[in-house]
Amino acid sequence: MTTRDLVLIALFAAIIVFLGIIPPITLGFVPVPITAQSMGVMLAGCILGAKRGALAYVLVILMVAVGLPVLSGGRGGLAVLAGPTAGYIAGWVVGTYVTGFIAERLVNENQGGARQMAGFFIASIVGGIGVVYLLGNLWLAFITGIGLDKAFLASLAFIPGDLIKAGIATLAARAILVGYPLLPQRA
Amino acid sequence: MLKTLYVEGATPFHRVPLRAKLILLMTASIVLFFVSSPAILAPVFLACLCLYLTLGLSWRDALGRIGWIGFAVLVLALATWFFNGLNEAIALSLRIITLVLLAAAITATATIGAFMDEITVMLMPLERRGLLNAADVGLALGLVLRFVPEIAARYDNIREAHRARGLPVRPLTLFVPLIILTLKDADTIAMAIDARGFRRQ
Repeated sequence: MTTRDLVLIALFAAIIVFLGIIPPITLGFVPVPITAQSMGVMLAGCILGAKRGALAYVLVILMVAVGLPVLSGGRGGLAVLAGPTAGYIAGWVVGTYVTGFIAERLVNENQGGARQMAGFFIASIVGGIGVVYLLGNLWLAFITGIGLDKAFLASLAFIPGDLIKAGIATLAARAILVGYPLLPQRA
Repeated sequence: MLKTLYVEGATPFHRVPLRAKLILLMTASIVLFFVSSPAILAPVFLACLCLYLTLGLSWRDALGRIGWIGFAVLVLALATWFFNGLNEAIALSLRIITLVLLAAAITATATIGAFMDEITVMLMPLERRGLLNAADVGLALGLVLRFVPEIAARYDNIREAHRARGLPVRPLTLFVPLIILTLKDADTIAMAIDARGFRRQ
């Protein structure tokens, strides 16, 4: 790993931490404010690619483990990793990797804008929503004994908000690919 | 901006080495998983509660640190009660809250330095195989702590730039410049690190 990759990973981890500090953003057309931090999975994968994106999240989780309140709402410490939502946190790392993996294969700089955005949107939905909920709900169902189907049913309530996040992440990732491309040079 | 969750103190639990505490947490998480009798879980839970509350945290702080997990456990307990019965729900909540209390107690009694030492030890096998450089982890962590305030300042600048132009602050017009401006620094920072020979390559 080059020093530049190391720095990119650290800077993106800092962005993810910062996304947890800012107050939830309200969109003009949806009444519910969205927390920005869970969008980080999609952004990290689509902007940095699989390996560097996933490592940025590993770094954030490391900070959680050593007792820094880096998650949204000032949460942090080993308690987060021992709690019932630990599966979603593991899902962030795998989800970012999958998002980046798909984005690296579907998107390149020579395509038109629409194709690039379609690629980012698919990557965000599969990695940032599908994988995160899969791992989170598997863990939830495993420790509670509630059926997996019921856990998935409960998480359906969050899907509309997540689709909006995937849309924002797609547009942001495409703008960044044009402005400062990092995805093509994989780590 | 990023204040560690460590609490100064000299309680007996503060003096236990971190490695022993981490092994205790790992053992507890495995053992408690197989215990479902409230007669065993309840005393363990009370012991962890007493431990957590005697670490020198104020009541407010102590509750604030785990309050949101308590809420999540409450929701889970209600769902488990509905689907699997009361006994299961009680065992589940006691089990999770016990682990959360123990974990929160460890976080409150170990410094970042102590954690980093343990992480370096854990990464040693990987370093020996040449998969990574354990010192890089500390460097990356330091970079994050250094740059979060920088990003916050940049965020304020971008918001003010919006206000000066009479534009509404939208997520897209906020995140795109923020991310590009931040990542553009990577080259300069990487050169500075290499020029100082921090990574000894």
